[in-house]
Amino acid sequence: MTAGIMAGRWWLSAASRAAWFSCLWLVLAGADIGDIPAATAAVVAATWTSLRLLEPSTSRRSLRAILQLVFFFLVHSIVAGADVARRALDPRLPLRPGFVAYPTRLPRGLRRNVFTTLTSLLPGTVPTGERDGQLFYHCLDIEQPVLAELAAEEAALVRALYNE
Amino acid sequence: MSLVRDIMTIAAVSAGAFFFLAGTVGLLRFPDTLTRLHALTKADNLGLGLIVVGLLPQAGSLRDGLKLVSIWLLVMLAGATVSQLIARNARQDETAK
Repeated sequence: MTAGIMAGRWWLSAASRAAWFSCLWLVLAGADIGDIPAATAAVVAATWTSLRLLEPSTSRRSLRAILQLVFFFLVHSIVAGADVARRALDPRLPLRPGFVAYPTRLPRGLRRNVFTTLTSLLPGTVPTGERDGQLFYHCLDIEQPVLAELAAEEAALVRALYNE
Repeated sequence: MSLVRDIMTIAAVSAGAFFFLAGTVGLLRFPDTLTRLHALTKADNLGLGLIVVGLLPQAGSLRDGLKLVSIWLLVMLAGATVSQLIARNARQDETAK
């Protein structure tokens, strides 16, 4: 790819992120002429930080797969909340806590962090760090099929965002 | 029409309050830091989601509705990130013992 196209893509990314941050400001703080200096400072700071931490991506994203991921995520949130509520309110307190190691194929860094953040909201698992390419999950009930669920979630994430 | 909206609000907000209650019961009853994290992140996330869904029919404008949804997304993002940091620390403490 030539440098010109790269720079063009970078500016496009910066402009679209600044537009999103401006919308978020308008939603959260409202539209007021007096706010313009503060809003400008916040949008510039947020855009700069996001470009530093999250480089403009070149992978193809499928809208359908993203919607599927959001749907999975909502269903899992409901299952997770109901599961914790059931265990917390059960007089016998049915817990079999323990750790499982999940060998992920996602590269270190951003992709793996997105995955752990998503899976921290899955039923029964909290990511507790990594070692030698394995993610360590703490589970409320190690007899649940945790590894299979994590593998399904990883596949859904790759389909949605990282399909190269 | 407003009756239907009010019924939706009452149902969703009550369900949300129930999950907050369950999360708090879990926080008190679960045996250690890591299991308590499960209770907080998962039950409260669902509780807040239901309260937001319940308040949406009462939002006066599109902006109010978007603001409610943004608050939910920001709290979820913060919760998912911070819970991992706490979990990482708790596991290191456990293995160091």
